[in-house]
Amino acid sequence: MIALAAILAVTGATVGLGLYGVRVVRTTSDLFVASRAVTPWWNAAAISGEYLSAASFLGIAGLQMKLGVGALWLPLGFTAGYLALLLFVAAPLRRFGAYTIADFAEARLRSPRLRVLAATIVLAIAGFYLVPQLKGAGLTLGEVTGAPYWVGVVAVGAIVAVTVASGGMRGITYVQAFQYWLKTFAIALPACLLLLHLGGLPERAALFGAELPRAPAAGLAVELSDPAPVTFPEATAYEVDGVGARARAGEERVLPAGRVELPPGAAVPVAEGTEALRGDAWSRPVSGEGSFSPLLVYSLLLATFLGTMGLPHILVRFYTNPDGPAARRTTVRVLGLLALFYAFPAVYGLLGRALVPELYLTGETDSVVLRLPEAAWPGLGGELLGALVAAGAFAAFMSTASGLLVSVAGTLAHDLAPPAASGTVRRQRFRLAALAGILAPMALALFARELDISLLVGWAFALAASTFCPLLLLGIWWERLTARGAAVGLVCGAVSATGAILAGLAVEDAPAGTEALLTQPAMVSVPLAFAAMVLVSLHDRDGRGAPDAELLALHAPEGLGLDALARPRP
Amino acid sequence: MSRPTPRDELAEATPHGGLYLRRLVRSQLALSLLALVAFGGLVGSLPLALALLPGLQRVQLLGLPLPLLALLVPPFPLFLALGWLYERRAAALEEAFRELVEPRGDAGG
Repeated sequence: MIALAAILAVTGATVGLGLYGVRVVRTTSDLFVASRAVTPWWNAAAISGEYLSAASFLGIAGLQMKLGVGALWLPLGFTAGYLALLLFVAAPLRRFGAYTIADFAEARLRSPRLRVLAATIVLAIAGFYLVPQLKGAGLTLGEVTGAPYWVGVVAVGAIVAVTVASGGMRGITYVQAFQYWLKTFAIALPACLLLLHLGGLPERAALFGAELPRAPAAGLAVELSDPAPVTFPEATAYEVDGVGARARAGEERVLPAGRVELPPGAAVPVAEGTEALRGDAWSRPVSGEGSFSPLLVYSLLLATFLGTMGLPHILVRFYTNPDGPAARRTTVRVLGLLALFYAFPAVYGLLGRALVPELYLTGETDSVVLRLPEAAWPGLGGELLGALVAAGAFAAFMSTASGLLVSVAGTLAHDLAPPAASGTVRRQRFRLAALAGILAPMALALFARELDISLLVGWAFALAASTFCPLLLLGIWWERLTARGAAVGLVCGAVSATGAILAGLAVEDAPAGTEALLTQPAMVSVPLAFAAMVLVSLHDRDGRGAPDAELLALHAPEGLGLDALARPRP
Repeated sequence: MSRPTPRDELAEATPHGGLYLRRLVRSQLALSLLALVAFGGLVGSLPLALALLPGLQRVQLLGLPLPLLALLVPPFPLFLALGWLYERRAAALEEAFRELVEPRGDAGG
């Protein structure tokens, strides 16, 4: 109940602050003037607030518990992505003045058709990324109130759609900045207090030694609402609703719905799709084979390093910087803020493996962050910390989901729709697009229940890295890129990345070796997209290279009066 | 008639102006690539190093295996330091370009 109250408070504060922001900021130009006054610190907090999604708040710890500490390559890549953004994109893109990637593609390469192609890819990336946010919402609300999964999905989808449609997500810099600090506080405080309360890491053998996660001294009881297929790593005697049964080592069984009880010290059976790992294997960040083979780790790092710059909702935020140098200063601060947040998810993964091993049985490792406080600290302390964590998780879904939905609605209403003269028509279209744009991700979230949050987000990054990353890097730094080259490269990257992902979904047991490329296609699809863009551009007879005005717009420092000579800004 | 200033050359998009501009773009790109190489060398070698030295797993520091610590702690301050250094150098390059186009004391002209 405390947790529900905390979630409602966060939701209310977000909607309230958002609506208040609209009243302060009336017109589009007001918005931009206000935005230009945003200092790098506020802006950095807002960018981080929008960026830290369900994947960061719940997914990293969940994946770490399930697959091993190799999952911690994810926060590394998520942060490194901003370094790539800083080095190659932040200042030139801000100077160019393009508001969306589609704008950039059209203005830089003078091709309206490229705009449509880029807009389509924006929709795909934002869709991939919205699904796990909604999934996280369904999971969290179910965890806190016992409501069915779909209630959270529909509730958060509806709230986000209505706030975005009512225009409430326009003057949101301060809302997002507030949510960054809320999220960081909500993940940091419980982590520190739990470590203090427990006096360090318990169950060290299961974490780093040769042990499996085992039932605690009091035994382990789990209520199953549905039959659950599991694998027993060791020969185990167990009871279901008081009826005894025995399983051999390595045996696969379907546990019936009911109360499953394991005796003290019994190795915890693992749900379908999870592997029972001993501590030493679990705590290895890189392994010879399996989930964290060097090839997979590099592909994952490549996707996150290069994919961040292609996330539509993040790029929009860079336009709120006053100028190019401020965009760089903002990005450096983002690196610091992300480093602060990412110090903590690992704690939940470690403690979760030791203290809530029943999640291996139910397959709900994604909810370890939510379950841990009450399991580690029974009583009021754990309940309060659990409420804080739940509120932080909701802040994560809502901030990222609204940022993404703004991108989706903007793309549908602005980039894809035919130009409309009147502002009223444009605003109406934006509202309709926001309401319509949430429907497909909501439907997907209802069907994609078993997919890990971090896996879904990984696909969004792979797609962004294989399409917009080459477009931005070559568009900014290589004069000879042509519209035709960009288009061919975008299609190559998008098709190879999505193709691999869909194949990975369709094929149950991929042959050894190909599995890596199907789950992490960036290693192949990114070079492919780059090569296609360069080769086609070089052989394009229409290619003349960028006129100086484009270079001025991208690279000339502000304050020289040269901007006026560059391309007119939208 | 005085010689055209770099500013005029840029404004009128003369071949000379194009040269100034491309020199700036190249120096910025070189700086970014340098930072990328530094990053790639330090962080990019981490997975390979951990894969090639599995014995590190047995070394514990502060109660945690060394590879886990290597993943959690040093990369983040490194990102920040690299980003900060880059930001300062990039601003200095722009300042030099500004000097070229609009020498101090001649700002009004």
